[in-house]
Amino acid sequence: MTSFHDQMAAPGKVKRSNDLLRGVERLKEEHRKVVKDCRGQIEHWKKVEKDYESLQDRLRTLPDKLSYDIMVPFGPLAFMPGKLVHTNELTVLLGDNWFAKCSAKQADTLVEHRKKHVKNALDDLQKTMKNFQNRADFTVDLEKLTGGTGDFVDIREEVVNEEEVTKGKHRLAHKPNSKPKQDYVLKLKENNKGEGDEGSKRGVLSEEELWARLDELERQEELQDERCRLDSTDTNGEDTTSSSSEEEKAESDSVQVNGHRKENGWVSSSHTSQMNGTNGSYLEEVEEEDCEETGNSLPTIYFSHTVEPKKVRINTGKNTTLKFSERKEQKEQAKRKKKNGKSNGHSLLENYKITSPADIYRVFVDLVNGEPIPRKSILKSRSRENSVCSDTSESSTADFEERRVAFGRSLSHDDATHSDTSDGITEEDSPTGSSPHTNGRFEAFTGTVIEKDPLPSSIPHLTIAPPALPTIPERKLEEVGTEMPQEAPKRMSKFKATRLHHK
Amino acid sequence: MAEVIQKKLQSELDKYQQLQKDVNKSMSARQKLEAQLTENNIVKEELNLLDSQNTVYKLIGPVLVKQDLDEAKATVGKRLEYINGEIQRYENLLKDMERKSEQHREVLSSLQQEYQRAQGHPVGKV
Repeated sequence: MTSFHDQMAAPGKVKRSNDLLRGVERLKEEHRKVVKDCRGQIEHWKKVEKDYESLQDRLRTLPDKLSYDIMVPFGPLAFMPGKLVHTNELTVLLGDNWFAKCSAKQADTLVEHRKKHVKNALDDLQKTMKNFQNRADFTVDLEKLTGGTGDFVDIREEVVNEEEVTKGKHRLAHKPNSKPKQDYVLKLKENNKGEGDEGSKRGVLSEEELWARLDELERQEELQDERCRLDSTDTNGEDTTSSSSEEEKAESDSVQVNGHRKENGWVSSSHTSQMNGTNGSYLEEVEEEDCEETGNSLPTIYFSHTVEPKKVRINTGKNTTLKFSERKEQKEQAKRKKKNGKSNGHSLLENYKITSPADIYRVFVDLVNGEPIPRKSILKSRSRENSVCSDTSESSTADFEERRVAFGRSLSHDDATHSDTSDGITEEDSPTGSSPHTNGRFEAFTGTVIEKDPLPSSIPHLTIAPPALPTIPERKLEEVGTEMPQEAPKRMSKFKATRLHHK
Repeated sequence: MAEVIQKKLQSELDKYQQLQKDVNKSMSARQKLEAQLTENNIVKEELNLLDSQNTVYKLIGPVLVKQDLDEAKATVGKRLEYINGEIQRYENLLKDMERKSEQHREVLSSLQQEYQRAQGHPVGKV
């Protein structure tokens, strides 16, 4: 009996796949039939429309003459000459055995009115045809998907750690265009760099101190926004997802795709797929059309997300929160600096590895009272002697001095500080011969920077800076001891120095 | 045993087919009514476009009979209402017939199963 069952089982399986294929074929047939029907009907209505148009032409020309000489049809086979009189009087069939006597113009109006109906019918048919065409295409795609051919790839990400799904407080739904409440977001758990809990309890820091983190924060917020929007499309009423297959689904909404990830409709499926993402995950799972057998015949890409270092949100009190990561590291560096002697506000950073724009802000950090504070502009220094590079711009002495003072103070923020960054001109070494010191003091620039135009070119400036960094620390370490006595002579601007020299 | 079931199956099938035919007929009648509905709607709108200066005729057999515009409008309106009522009636009829055909379908399927079993048993016994 077992052999009998086996025999039944195997053909059964084959039969099932055959059934599926036949089903798909049948579906395609039906689609094609509907599309053909629609086409036929569209043809018919188009003809009707053309007829009406030619009728309108005739109506317009008819009253031109009082009477026309015509050949009148006489029975089915003969014509006879005759006259067409009363050219403006027409008896119009209104439908359902009703007639009306009208003038040519009134008949024209009636014909216009009928044409409107025809146009509506045509539009409906066009829409239906397009709809069914889409359905047919969708079934073709589906077939390709199940067959494993085509360009469809299943991308999966295995989630290991459920804790990392939400970062901090889950964001509340709010009106689409309002700014989110600036809550403190406590760190959930320590990252692999070993930031301590000290980072989690943070009070309100002044804006000045945290401006440098703004870009990174905005980026993070955008990503969170997207995720939250996807999570709560109902509450926000926004449809912001942009994956193409979701749009397809909206069109062919009558066809339900039974993938293991999709339950009822794409909203819930996008929700679940979002929840499967890890924190700081920048992946949007593409809602591919899944095959019915949960993708075992599809090429699959397994994706694993690397955990980003945890960032801490800090309320700066002015509609911005900045994230300040690797705080512990900076604190350590600050402590080290303290030990070496009081520096002038520039922290020496040992971690010069810059891999992202955020790292730049991390690296260029002022040290105020032992606290590492993100600098607003890496082009400026707090004090004059921090100028390192030669200044090739022509400016008045007063401006120059001002700029030197302002150097390193203001924020190199995107939109705010055009004038500032244009001021961020690197300065020449003071001719007093403390050039090696200035070089060492101000780690941002060691070369010549030609600064003539505003902000956009500040970015290339930033790129110039990093290569110089590795050389700085050693010098700094050497010269740190001798910094203090050198301060006074350094504060002199080059022009002042030349003036004095001339005197 | 099998023959009895077979006969029952046959009669049920016949009834079901009859019901299906009725359903189809009602469907086509309803579609005709729908066409008349749209037509009368167009007539009503076109009558509204005319004024009392135009004479309106009604075709009764081979004769065109003059009608008053207002009378014509009233008549068309009444006809529209009548058509709507007919459509409603046919709707209800169709629903009833659908329900009955469902029942018949169920009966048919159960009978079919019985028949299969009856068929299967003799085979197994042999």
